[in-house]
Amino acid sequence: MATEVLVRPALEWQAGTVTAIRPETHKTKSFTFALPKWMVHRPGQHYDVRLTAPDGYRTERSYSIASPPERVGELDLTVELIPDGEVSPYMHDVLMRGDQLEVRGPIGGYFVWDVAMGGPLLLIGGGSGVVPLMAMLRHRTAQHATMPTRILYSSRTADDVIYRDELDRMAASDPALEVFYTFTRQAPADWNGYRRRIDATMLSEVIKPFGNRAHIYVCGPTLLVEAVANALVQMQLPTEQIRTERFGPTGA
Amino acid sequence: MKNDADMNTALMVDGNAVAGELAQIFGRDMTMAVARCAGCAKDAELGALMAFTRGPGVVLRCPACQQAIARIVETPSAIYLEARGATFLRMRPQP
Repeated sequence: MATEVLVRPALEWQAGTVTAIRPETHKTKSFTFALPKWMVHRPGQHYDVRLTAPDGYRTERSYSIASPPERVGELDLTVELIPDGEVSPYMHDVLMRGDQLEVRGPIGGYFVWDVAMGGPLLLIGGGSGVVPLMAMLRHRTAQHATMPTRILYSSRTADDVIYRDELDRMAASDPALEVFYTFTRQAPADWNGYRRRIDATMLSEVIKPFGNRAHIYVCGPTLLVEAVANALVQMQLPTEQIRTERFGPTGA
Repeated sequence: MKNDADMNTALMVDGNAVAGELAQIFGRDMTMAVARCAGCAKDAELGALMAFTRGPGVVLRCPACQQAIARIVETPSAIYLEARGATFLRMRPQP
């Protein structure tokens, strides 16, 4: 029988098996899922996760894919614990390695970037908004791409920074990649970098070498994304080069 | 959060967040499909609409004028899509 190449299989729920759970910070964990019908994703896409209670009540949430498409057969979702949430407390406190969970994806064609789209690339993230941006960076590294890339990442404190070691490692070994952190609540005592919410001054400093050519991706709590998107538009950057992903009221 | 308007803004997400529901209805990714707002005639990708998802259903609003473009409600037996706020949806043909 000839191999059937499914270019666009129907988006359907499937049972993913948790093969690893890794704490990232005090309130975020990464979950690795093995999927019976794994499909290559584009960096920036998400999966929906669905829980069904014994009485039939169902609820679902979307979580960004953290892993690059180069990792075949499995994927990582990094999930922030929302204490009064419906899905993230279950994933953080109940779900164990070997358990199964209903997932559907990959989803979304809007907030995506891959190396074919080129650069320069400016990534702006707040809190767990860094997750889809990390998928883009991991993909860029896996492809040995060299377009100039900068990431501006806002966190409350140094303890809230997700992927800190990996980001610093990536930047140290890649002259085309620069990482800028800003701390909005408390910066480390010896910190020389930014220590405030992202504002127009900070944005113009970070974007400066790219002029108005950058592909810009902004992901984070809605109010952060609103503020950044408005500032970028006021800086006369072409709106078609700015992609945003707002994830609601939570986060840094 | 100072007032209700701030609260509503904080609860807003992008149309991209309901890409799963839209794909379930249309059988394809719809985030790059364009809707023309019946209120102000601006075009926007569905992924870029303002989405309000914390209610019993989903409301998609025009990012330019805030008019409701579409509503999606799921019941145990049916999915309702009301889209009179859109003059049209424009999408690429499937390959």
